[in-house]
Amino acid sequence: MEAWRLALSSSIRGKLISAGYTSLSSISSVSSSDLARDANITEDEAFEILKLANQSSGSNSCNGNRSLINGAKNAWDMLHEEESLPRITTSCSDLDNILGGGISCRDVTEIGGVPGIGKTQIGIQLSVNVQIPREFGGLGGKAIYIDTEGSFMVERALQIAEACVEDMEEYTGYMHKHFKANQVQMKPKDILENIFYFRVCSYTEQIALVNHLDKFISENKDVKVVIVDSITFHFRQDFDDLVQRTRVLSEMALKFMKLAKKFSLAVVLLNQVTTKYTEGSFQLALALGDSWSHSCTNRVILYWNGDERYAYIDKSPSLPSASASYTVTSRGLRNSSSSSKRVKMM
Amino acid sequence: MKPETLLRRPQTNRKLTTGCKILDGCLRGGIPCDSLTEIVAESGCGKTQLCLQLSLSAQLPISLGGLNGSSLYLHSEFPFPFRRLHQLSRSFHQSNPSIYANHSDNPCDHVFVQNVHSVDHLFDIMPRIDGFIKNSGNRLPLKLIVLDSVAALFRSEFDNTPSDLRKRSSLFFKISGKLKQLANKFGLAVVITNQVTDLVETSDGLSGLRIGNLRYLCSSGRRVVPALGLAWANCVNSRFFISRSDETICKERSENDESGSIYVSRRAQRRFDIVFSPYLPASSCEFMITREGICGVQA
Repeated sequence: MEAWRLALSSSIRGKLISAGYTSLSSISSVSSSDLARDANITEDEAFEILKLANQSSGSNSCNGNRSLINGAKNAWDMLHEEESLPRITTSCSDLDNILGGGISCRDVTEIGGVPGIGKTQIGIQLSVNVQIPREFGGLGGKAIYIDTEGSFMVERALQIAEACVEDMEEYTGYMHKHFKANQVQMKPKDILENIFYFRVCSYTEQIALVNHLDKFISENKDVKVVIVDSITFHFRQDFDDLVQRTRVLSEMALKFMKLAKKFSLAVVLLNQVTTKYTEGSFQLALALGDSWSHSCTNRVILYWNGDERYAYIDKSPSLPSASASYTVTSRGLRNSSSSSKRVKMM
Repeated sequence: MKPETLLRRPQTNRKLTTGCKILDGCLRGGIPCDSLTEIVAESGCGKTQLCLQLSLSAQLPISLGGLNGSSLYLHSEFPFPFRRLHQLSRSFHQSNPSIYANHSDNPCDHVFVQNVHSVDHLFDIMPRIDGFIKNSGNRLPLKLIVLDSVAALFRSEFDNTPSDLRKRSSLFFKISGKLKQLANKFGLAVVITNQVTDLVETSDGLSGLRIGNLRYLCSSGRRVVPALGLAWANCVNSRFFISRSDETICKERSENDESGSIYVSRRAQRRFDIVFSPYLPASSCEFMITREGICGVQA
């Protein structure tokens, strides 16, 4: 965008342009004192110009897809951005609550647990829920599902998709009583069509696919979630050189983080648990080792407590430690029906 | 790299019928293809019976719930029950006359048995399976691989030290990775059986770690855990548990008896539980093992 479009007095505009600031990007990447000095204007005027420039470029970009070359942002802008970023619901309100509304975009979230606790179920639920249209409070996006274990069953995804459409129809019927119940345009088949499913059979395929994702998502900009189920499977065999494994894994983690920030999407990595031999005894820990545990922004651990499934926020820069229970039903993830206190704050 | 269009896949994975309607009902059709299914049971509970039955039903046409293919039975425990296979095969042939054009066609011709005596041997065999499938020629294509049992391969070779356990774990993932690759490439169903060990509570409580829908697994009146631990549990897609309880007696009325008296036979009831599965809700059913094979019992 050109600088002369800004709502400034013509004299100041003239000074700006003669100083060489013709485009918005050149203005926003400079500090107010530098601008004042170059364009021969007062610091207050420079500050006003910068504010205007930031506002205009903010309204031009879509979905917070700002190029980072636009210079440093202040924390206030970032907070505003973060709060306006939509979150992907898990269909379980207790779980959503401890997650601060759902799985956040622009973050890498790691979810780990024992076999059978529901990791794949959460993965499928998220790949369906990301497609909930904006009118219903969702993101209206598409999903990439990277299956390394072969646990993804189309019939299960269809079941969850059908339940999601039914819920949306029920909601429309409830909210707009004079409308017919089936105002929802989406059909379960459409939901399946919007999940880009990749099956990966070796760690080399996995690395190649992750490298390719940048290009793929650039061509499919409405992808809003990338789910990897599971990130661990191919890395737990035959890596004699653990140093190499750590290096490969951290490169992969970095790529995911870049993808999340660049395209403003959520990355969800499902992990397995293993027993770690520490201090003379065996303890449960997420697989892939200590260095991997630094690679994700958020970490959620799923576990059994009696007969209930629980999720626990193990690591998060913004969420308090808390646990909540959930169940896996034929319709997908839902709140557990037990009447005892479901959310525990630590 | 192109993603798969989910819509082009069939809406339900192809399933292999177990030969018993009630068991099939629990499983929503049967054992799924392109997936590793584990059957955990104590010795003598019926896992080998179920596997033999699956090897035969794989030959059924797809319309009857089969896979129209042959099966490969890798067995690591001695001896392989050839007699039982023949017995089952005879009754299978009798109950499915339409499939076998010739009276002399033997369903056993389509069950390939291979003995596996160690993990290294298994890794030797796997690349040969690839070739075996590709060079099918005139015979039915391979559609089912049974590994009975995986635990026997690991029982003797590894000590209890952390480094040996780690080596063992990486072998689990290697085996599982290769089998899943085969299953995905050729659309095979893979069934692996596993043994159980008695639960010995350790101080860290990890041996009794709950995995799946059942709080604890019980067989023959005592608590058991599947062998090979947490690492192996991460390697399979579904886990089913067969248990037996000695207490049940089922009454059988013998019709041949002229006096018409009731002949009571003690037959241990078996129970089939779903421990975890990516698409099945928790459920269980009961069955018996008869001469004809596995036979479900209506609850």
